[in-house]
Amino acid sequence: MTLVVGLPRDERASAAVQLGVMLAASLDEDLVVCTVVPPPWPPGMGRVDAEYQDYLDRGAQEAVERARGLVPAERAAAFVVTRARSTSAGLLQVAQEHRARLLVLGSSTAGALGRVAFGSVADRLLHSSPLPVVLGPRGFRCRPAARVRRVTVAFGATEGSGELVVALAGVAARAGAALRVASFAVRPRTPLTAGIGAHAEDAVAHEWAADAEHAQRAVLEEVARLPQRPSAAGSAVGYGTDWEEAIEEIGWEDGDLLAVGSSTAGPLERVFLGSRSSRIVRHSPVPVVVVPRAATQALAERAERR
Amino acid sequence: MATLLQQAFRRKPVGRAAAETDDDGRLVRSLGLFQLTMIGVGATIGTGIFFVLTEAVPVAGPAVIWSFVIAGVVAGLTAVCYAELASAVPVSGSSYSYAYATLGEVVAMGVAACLLLEYGVSSAAVAVGWSQYLNQLLGNLFGFRIPDALSQSPEGGGVLNLPAVVLVALCALLLIRGASESATVNAIMVVIKVAVLVMFVVIGVTGWNSDNFADFAPFGVTGITGAAGIIFFAYIGLDAVSTAGEEVRNPRRTMPVAILLALLTVTVVYVAVALVAVAAQPQAAFEGQEAGLAAILEQVVGASWPGTVLAAGAVISIFSVTLVTIYGQTRILFAIGRDGMLPRFFQRVNARTSTPVNNTVVVAVAVGLLAGLLPINFLAEMTSIGTLVAFLVVSVGVMVLRRTAPDLPRGFRVPGYPVTPILSIAGCLWIIIDLRAITIAVFAIWVAVVLVWYFTYGIRHSRLRPAATDPHEDAR
Repeated sequence: MTLVVGLPRDERASAAVQLGVMLAASLDEDLVVCTVVPPPWPPGMGRVDAEYQDYLDRGAQEAVERARGLVPAERAAAFVVTRARSTSAGLLQVAQEHRARLLVLGSSTAGALGRVAFGSVADRLLHSSPLPVVLGPRGFRCRPAARVRRVTVAFGATEGSGELVVALAGVAARAGAALRVASFAVRPRTPLTAGIGAHAEDAVAHEWAADAEHAQRAVLEEVARLPQRPSAAGSAVGYGTDWEEAIEEIGWEDGDLLAVGSSTAGPLERVFLGSRSSRIVRHSPVPVVVVPRAATQALAERAERR
Repeated sequence: MATLLQQAFRRKPVGRAAAETDDDGRLVRSLGLFQLTMIGVGATIGTGIFFVLTEAVPVAGPAVIWSFVIAGVVAGLTAVCYAELASAVPVSGSSYSYAYATLGEVVAMGVAACLLLEYGVSSAAVAVGWSQYLNQLLGNLFGFRIPDALSQSPEGGGVLNLPAVVLVALCALLLIRGASESATVNAIMVVIKVAVLVMFVVIGVTGWNSDNFADFAPFGVTGITGAAGIIFFAYIGLDAVSTAGEEVRNPRRTMPVAILLALLTVTVVYVAVALVAVAAQPQAAFEGQEAGLAAILEQVVGASWPGTVLAAGAVISIFSVTLVTIYGQTRILFAIGRDGMLPRFFQRVNARTSTPVNNTVVVAVAVGLLAGLLPINFLAEMTSIGTLVAFLVVSVGVMVLRRTAPDLPRGFRVPGYPVTPILSIAGCLWIIIDLRAITIAVFAIWVAVVLVWYFTYGIRHSRLRPAATDPHEDAR
């Protein structure tokens, strides 16, 4: 089984490759590091295009050489330069050829350091990829021997959320990692002009959180019945007046991976980032995996087997 | 076994109330004098001034100016008392929460009945006023008006005030989706409201005609206080300053100054508007005038544009007032529900939107019905009486607490005790007794209904019930 890393040909490369290496080590998978270059134009007059193609190829080769240096020798890894009309299509094609299970991408340079930001390629894949997509925060770094130590699942107490927890519990168990179920109670501040004090909205958030905790307990009981369990299982509720505050509140460590589900608004087989998940992804300080609903189902079934 | 009386007057332990709402010390005291004053001005202007003259001038004549001053002074006194109570009880919330912590459960339910008027009925009144200005705006811009059948209450010759109902529904929808008014939006709304009112004064003053003051107080003092009762409605919101205490830096000094400044600003604007309005047209012209301020401006200038600008400002700012008022109502019901005095239905929070959807829908339906079917003067008077009684209880609470807990640390103390609370109580009573008999009767019935609810349901489901099983737990 394989994991495809989309390799940017600039300073972002090392973040993507390091993330890929960490995930491959945790899940014990092979790596395919892939960079996509545009295809040549149809043969025509002048042949000036060949020179440009040559330049691109050289750039791609250099990027691949640099990436090679970042992958530890014991990790089975392939390095691919592929030609495709779009980067997202190229990555998906390579992923299909290698029967990959996971697509790993870095953040766009447009975002803040240490936060996940998606550019056009990631945006496209987050709304169409048939396999789970992992996005690293901008400037992600880790030790060569680093592994995923804890998987945090964003749990919305809505339908389908429980399945995601079970699916990721299975993944965490295989990776020898802990599981954390996290809910985010995001309510704006009470407008003081309403004349009802500054805390009226906190009461609403607490009520919501009480429901969420109840659902968290239920899903953790389900996890406890799985044949193979994560090394530890816990839950957390983050409060905040916005998503950033709420996500920050639950605390994050090195080796954390955050998982969010796909929206029911999208097709079953593909990743489709909903509005809520999108906000979670954008404010995540750790790598995020977005799982399509069909893959969630498959993973959950696999977790429940044996 | 506690007697009924003991049960009815049990108080919510303060520690418990604080633990429920204050989960973190993250809240920093961030408000200075200016922001606090702006909160007061923003919460106050806009609830009444746009349509209250139509109702108040026929009652008092041009002497309505004094009604504004009287209502303002009483509002100021009550706000100062409210500020002490709010600072003495480390609970966050409305006068319901303060009454619960200091005066007992049954009083809190009485206050809750008043708050349903202060918030629920006032949002209906505001929505009706909004529909008048919307109609004015539509008429001026597109030459099209919503027919009376669909924009008047049955008493006013219509079937249903549809725009008011639509406004309420729209606000409910926004609230269900989690909308809220930020400090920035409040600031923008303050600017819009004050700007259109200043425009009204500046343009309207050109139509000054001293002859209109000829019969200054046709109905004497009774007329003036009677109008003050209606006008008190326009001062609702000043208490927002009092409840913001815990976010205020140096509340002991800032609080009274902010209340005073906000009150002064609001009163000056109101009196100026009232003065210009009564000078611009004979008092007989006020009765039944729709979108009053816009109509007066058009008359003075002889063109429609100033009315259009004013109506647009009113439509935008009254919308935000309705949103905040309905919001306040839902959260007050939510608090009552959390105390067990309403069925759990009212405190359910939707998992997806993380807002109390049931609660919001119930409030919206009730407010929508009131706004669609009742005339504005009745709604305004009901709001006034509810607010006045709530404030009266607050002022009594200040005096009770000084007696029962003299050593309680208070972030803010009423200056001139005990004169101030006594004046505040007297002022409220003075205005209340001059309200129409029907208003007082309906109010009494309403409070009775709420108390019957309390003694049949609330008292048995209260979370303060001895050895009560946590209703939280057995519902799950």
